[in-house]
Amino acid sequence: MIRTQEYNLNFGPQHPSTHGVFRILLTLDGERVVKAEPICGYLHRGVEKLAEARTYTQFIPYTDRLDYLAAMLQNWGYVMAVEKLMGVEVPEKAEYMRVISGELSRLASHLIAIGTYSLDIGAFTGFLLAFRERETTMDLLEELTGSRMTLSYARIGGVAADAPDGWLEKVDKFMDKMPTCIDEYDGLITGNEIFQARTREVGVLKPETAINYSISGPSLRGSGVDYDLRKAKPYGVYDRFDFDVPLGKNGDCFDRFDCRMKEMRQLVRIIKQAIQQIKEIDGPVIGKVPKVIKPPVGDAYAEIETSKGIIGYYVVSDGSPKPYRVHVRRPSFINLGYLDEMLRGYLVADVVAILGSLDIMLGEVDC
Amino acid sequence: MFENLFVGIANGLRSLLGGLPLEINEAIVMLVKLVAILVFILVNALWLVYMERKVAAFVQARIGPNRVGPKGLLQTTADIGKLICKEIIIHKDTDKLVFMLAPMLVFVPTLMVFAVIPFGKNMAAIDMNIGLLYLLAIGSLSTLIFWMAGWASNNKYSLLGGMRSVAQMVSYELPMVLAILGVIMITGSLKMSDIIAAQEHTWFIFSQPIAFLIFFIASVSECNRAPFDLIEAESELVNGFNTEYSGMAFAMFYLAEYANMLVSCAMVTILFLGGWYAPFGLDFIPSWLWFFIKMYVMMFIIMQLRWTYPRIRVDQLMGFGWKVLVPLSLANIFVTGIGMYIYRAIGW
Amino acid sequence: MFGKGLVKGLEITWKEFWSPKTVIQYPEAQNPIPERFHGRFVLDTDKCIVCGMCANACPNKVISLKKQKVGTKQFLTNYVMNIQYCMFCGLCVETCPKDALHFSKVINMNQYFYNNIPLVLVQREAPAEQVEQEKPAAKPTPQLKADALAPTAESEVAASKASDKEGE
Repeated sequence: MIRTQEYNLNFGPQHPSTHGVFRILLTLDGERVVKAEPICGYLHRGVEKLAEARTYTQFIPYTDRLDYLAAMLQNWGYVMAVEKLMGVEVPEKAEYMRVISGELSRLASHLIAIGTYSLDIGAFTGFLLAFRERETTMDLLEELTGSRMTLSYARIGGVAADAPDGWLEKVDKFMDKMPTCIDEYDGLITGNEIFQARTREVGVLKPETAINYSISGPSLRGSGVDYDLRKAKPYGVYDRFDFDVPLGKNGDCFDRFDCRMKEMRQLVRIIKQAIQQIKEIDGPVIGKVPKVIKPPVGDAYAEIETSKGIIGYYVVSDGSPKPYRVHVRRPSFINLGYLDEMLRGYLVADVVAILGSLDIMLGEVDC
Repeated sequence: MFENLFVGIANGLRSLLGGLPLEINEAIVMLVKLVAILVFILVNALWLVYMERKVAAFVQARIGPNRVGPKGLLQTTADIGKLICKEIIIHKDTDKLVFMLAPMLVFVPTLMVFAVIPFGKNMAAIDMNIGLLYLLAIGSLSTLIFWMAGWASNNKYSLLGGMRSVAQMVSYELPMVLAILGVIMITGSLKMSDIIAAQEHTWFIFSQPIAFLIFFIASVSECNRAPFDLIEAESELVNGFNTEYSGMAFAMFYLAEYANMLVSCAMVTILFLGGWYAPFGLDFIPSWLWFFIKMYVMMFIIMQLRWTYPRIRVDQLMGFGWKVLVPLSLANIFVTGIGMYIYRAIGW
Repeated sequence: MFGKGLVKGLEITWKEFWSPKTVIQYPEAQNPIPERFHGRFVLDTDKCIVCGMCANACPNKVISLKKQKVGTKQFLTNYVMNIQYCMFCGLCVETCPKDALHFSKVINMNQYFYNNIPLVLVQREAPAEQVEQEKPAAKPTPQLKADALAPTAESEVAASKASDKEGE
């Protein structure tokens, strides 16, 4: 009789494919996962606490550091919460600038997601080809905001600056080019049989479970649940755009990946429409906001759809220039909730595939 | 004139040492041959690392190494120089003897294999009559060394890598040998020069296309290259069997990978691509150069495969080996046998 | 189905192999730096009215400035940015009422020694008729900066009143 033994494997914090300092304590039976215990907190910086010692405006740069791949979306969520608290009217042009820069951020984030996912599966080239387009995206954002990743572009009541001359045309041109690039990734990664064999029917997330665990973003839509805040509860000017919400069928890794791929095509459509519409609008990019921001006593919660899922900011004001409390609902963290059960019964190689398909961002998980 | 360059050098050396007794004379010539092969392999491994990085960069819209030396040609040399200077960390729970033995031995099978490979007309160091058997037998030894490294490291990632290496060898050596069987049935010899001589008119890639495909896939797997690089699998197993190695010990594994690639490509060239025979009657190019060109074309394909395909999963690897390649290679033998029978019955 | 995607992948990489490369050779060639780039700070001392709003706008308290009263005007003697804590968010530049503080396109702010990291934008002495206040030392050391933090925000303290909430 052979005596078999389960053993623990520390997957991380220093591991090439945990996308940061994330640790999973795997209990393995050979190569098969018996139990997985996600351990996070290696990147905890206490952002929520930091907010309490900053003014409302000063907290904006800190939101960049949550999901630093799609910084604009993080800014936007926070700024929306404060605006709701103060009842500030945002000029139309600012809303459009937010949409354009936000969708560019989403593009950058999705490009990283698909690139690193192909790297997780073992194809290096998809990673760098995705980075090539991301570089263009970041150049555009840099031209707009001055920073490449941590944009700090949104302001309470609007955005920091108007688009420089010729910027919108550049974005438009890039968006014309983007679909061919997405076709290239599709050919290189999505269409590859080995890739499909690796990801199909791996890490299946049933729609009911996904809803029960409050999973959001492409991970939720990969399971076939049609819930995109941009469509379901349109914020900003999203109700003026015509776009589809791509959905998966089986809720496996491939569907989640494919959702991101298709979402990129949709956001190209959104940006193109936004550019067309913004050209007819003239006006300021920041509304009438007092110099010292002192919201009335009360609280507000605002949520938007980021590249990872639904990010929600809950801001409590005690009437002073500093928030009494800021809480962030971080989609990456919540999406990780089901990880243990998702990993059970799969091989070590699938651990990487499943974790990558959730597309977590450690800055956001640990906050 | 270049055709007989190396053969001429050997003969010149022989006549230069004409005064000595025949045995000593032959021994010295053989020694020179082996040293030449050693230098050939090491220079090739250095070049291949550079080539791989360049190919990878070009595929990925990058430029690749271009700072050290002209066009970055000395980059690998500089890397090796750096790695030599680095400490080889041996942590306290390793099996120290085996741990250090593995990187030392990793080149041995590769070097031994090269003794029988004919690089051109009359250019094999030893033209053994069981050359192919020798090659397969020695070639599969390298698995043992990967297993040694994986086991002695006392690291779970290395252990998984070592386990995978053994499993992979067992399931891919079989279709590899079975694929070669078709070739051997036609030639009726295990001798390298006979196999090449049989391809003077038709390369075996045309008469045995399935065998070529199986052999190629199996040999990519044998030298642990993507999409079969499971034993390294840097996204899952950190670096697989050589996770714990640092410094020159790591570099040895790294270079051995390319030396193994060289062996695999040489075998594909000999068995299926007509060895040193010139295609289309282009025989003004010397035979050894043809061998070299064919080998490097195969090398490029293997590199391109690596930078295109994702990694296959371990159960899929086993399934593909046992459920697809083995039955296919058996069928190939069957078809080859029938074909040969009909061929003889018609009596061409 | 089997094999089509694999061949397609090879086609794409083969095409990429021959297509032009996007990487540029950094020290020799450089990406154009956009107009709004967040680089090294520049202070136009003639425009600066030493209001201290930049120091107050900063989320990380990076900016420390010292001033002296010369006649009826405030005179800026010291303007140091602890650039190691700077997030380059641009809030200071944005709040400057006189457009005195700017970003430049300088990206290279490397220093070999830790002490050299703080970005000293102004380091000068007040005109001679003033003598009652002690002049700051030539090179700002970390301790000096800690001292300098205290008198910074005199003009606009509303925002920083409850600044010790962090430690609760």
